[in-house]
Amino acid sequence: MSAHPLMVRKVAVLGAGVMGAQIAAHLINARVPVMLFELTAMEGDPNANVLKAVAQLKKLEPSPLAEPQLADWIHPANYDHDLELLRDCDVVIEAISERMDWKAGLYQKVAPYLGEHTIFASNTSGLSINRLAAAFPEQQRSRFCGVHFFNPPRYMHLVELIACTETDDQILDNLERFLVSTLGKGVVRAKDTPNFIANRVGVFSMLATVHHAARLHLGFDVVDALTGGLLGRPKSATFRTADVVGLDTFAHVVKTMQDALADDPWHQYYQSPQWLQDLIAQGALGQKTRKGIYQKVGRDIHVLDVASATTVTAATKPTEANNLTNLIYRLADGVASESMVSILKNRDAATRFSLLRASSDPQAQLIWSIYRDVFHYCAVHLSAIAHNSRDLDFAIRWGFGWQEGPFEIWQAAGWQQIAQWIQSDIAEGLTMANTPLPSWVLEPDRFGVHRAEGSYAPLTQHYQPRSDLSVYALQPFPDRILGEDRLYGHTIFETDAVRCWHTGDDIAIISFKSKMHVIGDDVLDGILQAIDCAEKNYLGLVIWQTEPPFSAGANLKKTPAGGAPSSPPSAVGKWFKQVRRDTESLALKVARQFGVADQLMAGKLAQVEALVEQFQVTTQRLKYSMIPTVAAVDGLALGGGCELVMHCDRAVASLETYIGLVEVGVGLLPAGGGCKEFALRSAQEAGGGDLSPFIQRYFKTVAMAEVARSAQHARTLGYLRASDVVVMNRFELLSVAKAQVLALSAGYRPPLPAVNIPVLGRSGLATLRAYMANMRMGGQISEHDELIGTKVATILCGGDVEAGSFVDEQWLLDLERSYFMELMATEKTQARIEHMLKTGKPLRN
Amino acid sequence: MTKHIADAYIVAATRSPVGKAPRGALRHMRPDDLLAQVLRAAVAQCPGLVLSDIDDVVVGCAMPEGEQGMNVARMGALLAGFPHSVSGVTINRFCASGLQAVADAAARIRLGEAEVMIAAGTESMSMVPMGGNKPSFSPEIFTHDQHLAMAYGMGITAECVAERWQVSREDQDVYAAESHRRAIAARDSGVFDAEISPCMVTQRIPDLQARDIRVQTQQFKNDEGPRSDTSLAVLSKLRPAFSQTGSITAGNSSQMSDGAGAVVLMSESAMKRYGLQPLGRFLGFAVAGVAPEVMGIGPVEAIPKVLKQVGLTQQALEWIELNEAFAAQTLAVIRQLDLDPNIVNPVGGAIALGHPLGATGAIRVATLLHGMRQRQLKYGMVTMCIGTGMGAAGVFERL
Repeated sequence: MSAHPLMVRKVAVLGAGVMGAQIAAHLINARVPVMLFELTAMEGDPNANVLKAVAQLKKLEPSPLAEPQLADWIHPANYDHDLELLRDCDVVIEAISERMDWKAGLYQKVAPYLGEHTIFASNTSGLSINRLAAAFPEQQRSRFCGVHFFNPPRYMHLVELIACTETDDQILDNLERFLVSTLGKGVVRAKDTPNFIANRVGVFSMLATVHHAARLHLGFDVVDALTGGLLGRPKSATFRTADVVGLDTFAHVVKTMQDALADDPWHQYYQSPQWLQDLIAQGALGQKTRKGIYQKVGRDIHVLDVASATTVTAATKPTEANNLTNLIYRLADGVASESMVSILKNRDAATRFSLLRASSDPQAQLIWSIYRDVFHYCAVHLSAIAHNSRDLDFAIRWGFGWQEGPFEIWQAAGWQQIAQWIQSDIAEGLTMANTPLPSWVLEPDRFGVHRAEGSYAPLTQHYQPRSDLSVYALQPFPDRILGEDRLYGHTIFETDAVRCWHTGDDIAIISFKSKMHVIGDDVLDGILQAIDCAEKNYLGLVIWQTEPPFSAGANLKKTPAGGAPSSPPSAVGKWFKQVRRDTESLALKVARQFGVADQLMAGKLAQVEALVEQFQVTTQRLKYSMIPTVAAVDGLALGGGCELVMHCDRAVASLETYIGLVEVGVGLLPAGGGCKEFALRSAQEAGGGDLSPFIQRYFKTVAMAEVARSAQHARTLGYLRASDVVVMNRFELLSVAKAQVLALSAGYRPPLPAVNIPVLGRSGLATLRAYMANMRMGGQISEHDELIGTKVATILCGGDVEAGSFVDEQWLLDLERSYFMELMATEKTQARIEHMLKTGKPLRN
Repeated sequence: MTKHIADAYIVAATRSPVGKAPRGALRHMRPDDLLAQVLRAAVAQCPGLVLSDIDDVVVGCAMPEGEQGMNVARMGALLAGFPHSVSGVTINRFCASGLQAVADAAARIRLGEAEVMIAAGTESMSMVPMGGNKPSFSPEIFTHDQHLAMAYGMGITAECVAERWQVSREDQDVYAAESHRRAIAARDSGVFDAEISPCMVTQRIPDLQARDIRVQTQQFKNDEGPRSDTSLAVLSKLRPAFSQTGSITAGNSSQMSDGAGAVVLMSESAMKRYGLQPLGRFLGFAVAGVAPEVMGIGPVEAIPKVLKQVGLTQQALEWIELNEAFAAQTLAVIRQLDLDPNIVNPVGGAIALGHPLGATGAIRVATLLHGMRQRQLKYGMVTMCIGTGMGAAGVFERL
């Protein structure tokens, strides 16, 4: 077999709606040329409809595009003039409205234009793939299948792949390779049942939540306080998620289940509650209409209060109860009860569940009831909707953002005990449906569904191993599931802070053991030791973490800074507003990461200086060691983490990488070589010409503490170099990093030490200071901001020397270190750090 | 009273329409080429003029570098087809460069050193931004506190003026709306027709579909700046552009622009030799410095100084072109000197008409002389504030 079983040169997306346009955007993120088709505009430019959708992509938050300008690569097209272009497309993804007749009409229209080998995939969330296939010309049906992306497609890992009866196996395998490796998605093969796997279970879970919340008289805000982070699910929990998805969309998915699943034991619950219908009737569709289950009133969030509305109406006008139009909102201030928080804090799942079930707190009853009914539902439907239990768990994890899938939760809580409780609740009529648990669930020796060799598949009664598709060879450590052994190679050495290891080849890997992979002196020691070790015995060194972040900060899978963009007073004002937003959640981690916060409290400035010096020694070693060093970056890489990346010979970064030098946010500056590298890169990029534009750009990046919103954006900001590699699938990161080590290791020599670095000197510094003087006068920065900015500018300009002077790296590093210490010694910087540690918010002083 | 041996007469004054920068009609028009067109238009208004008789071409430019560097005056003269014998000199007094060119050209005639002079101004803010291509400040600015204001952008200085002379946001916005109203009224009634020389703009745009170069040649006739769709309501919604708590917005500041203007000056004898009629007589010019952080107030010093020099009272002036760098400084100057608002910028100012920095002085001399001719007025003035703290004022008599 050839190395490239499916060469995808071009893709067409049919339909420039919310999903179609965003899928096109993600294809461009992956550097796949894409044509986006939409109906021809009635007047003016025939592509006006597509162009409008593409323009909209640039405004969406979180951004579907890795960088806004990527939108320009989406080739607009329409069905009247451009169908010939389809012939060149290896894959066509249809993503028009969910109407059988429209889709069938489109298939008739485009089928004659498809290339000989074109794969045609329908992105449907509800319609049957086999029914759709029937509308597709028979001779082309082997190349037809369903592909279900989740919204927003850039960020949601899941893609469900659904075959029709005629789909060629090879075609599906090829498409899966493309989706996994090129687009970076997590593929689950689903059966052709209504709503497939993730929406079937996820939406049932939401309906069960609606049902039990109403039964237990709990407000939507309380339910959201319980069913979000506390359960290891997204912060948007249940009802906020519905608002984000769109209440009409949610109702549509429910309707699909109602229409198509008449024999389902839970069929009676497949309906939109009255309040939901009322909201939709009034055009309150959630986030997109700014009003849904929640709405913003001034600065407050208000929530629909169904309980009181129903009570009032039902009591006064019982006959009009069905005509409920008076939607009552109240302040959303619901919180989890103390007893619930203490129950859910329990680390042991079995204890947690027994406490939940035993509690009389309605909140605990809610959570137990939802879990119970979801477990029940998954057990009953597993064999019909999925090939095995791992697929179901991954579908929910990747499609709904749960940290653990339903079966994983059940298994961790003690399979037998939970099964017994479900059974007794069924017997007592407490469950939503009274259908019995399938017999495999109740097998006496059953401990769960996941184990080392695979996950249970009820149809075959086997534990099905993971897919052996070639593309997964690139994932030595795929997303972990409960029950699997996870051994990370062979240890070379291990300390309290790091582990250095290999996978049986000649490449050393170092992984940090610290929380959030923050870097302290022990981590630095570990890195130095690993470099020594790799120089002696290995081809090269990879810095790779077993899970994100690369270093510091929480796993922000979404954009680091959301928030409504408000129009700023000026471009300059925009900078600083953005700084404030971006640093809000990040700067705290930087302070911690430097380990300076604690030191500071103890007044041990000398130790701080020693740490900074050791940091500089380490980054210089990464750059000048005798072996290639490669940073494999995923998630946040902030402050010192960013500086490690900047000093490795190469970085390999997943698309969802958020890199930034954010030290300024806590009143400090990058002193691990970050400023030094930017000064050096300016000199290289200027190529002997004027340094000013380069220095100005990097000054802005550091002074604003800019955090890149993707790996591509990190390149634009200068944190990553053109030679650094962007990887779409984060589970392939280590393989790609090792391949880079191999490629670099042949004849490797470290770079010659940078000498004769030209700097802008005091004139350049004065010019940067002039900008700051204006911002200060304009009230956009404080006196201390100006001081910090001046220090950063001084380093970037090489100090108070004549323009055009030449310096070396150590000169710049010494400036970094001494100014870092100067700032550290100021009361205002100390106040900023303290404030950040106490409140998690930046102090503007 | 100034002592001079000859009078300097303006026999022709014209200008290009002013385009918006950086995305307006003149965005691809080089300032040297535009200058050449305006020079040709100016001499075309002097029938019989022997070009080789031109003693010198003095051109004002605020940021004389890049496309308008290399002594743009000489470049423009040669591009205009003037004989090699006609020399050229570029001068820079920031925003007053164009007016300074007129004053310098007049001075040569008044001293008897020259008989035929051209004064002009040209500026492309689309091509060379405010501050130039590579701004660079002296470190000495930061070693002495009193020098700090040398680093301030114009917007910040306008905030200082607004604060010190207590010019409210509302007054500024009202003034800005009135500037647009006057400009639109003047444009629609053809007031500017006499002073504007339409220019030809040729653009060569790659057509990637047709694999060809699309050559478009268009005549550009009208100023792009005046907006009929603006109003006090619209202007009052704009956010401050320079200071978070300030009052200066994009709407009550002058517009960034591209443009050029040229004036032909002659001694009495030369004028008679060619049989030309004068538009007016140059009476005098003065400059004065003020603190850099309140540069906008500059005319307050320059106006009395020039009036004293020419021996006129303020009341004798019937038309004042007071460059509207910012509504805040314009109002501060009007109030400080108690100028009659009705005679200040009667056809609108830079807030509506645009401000192509070094060209503005020459452009407004054309506006003043043609305007006073239409209204049969006698004494007029062109005055403006200047970056880093100066004011300039020139007085003209319409003949």
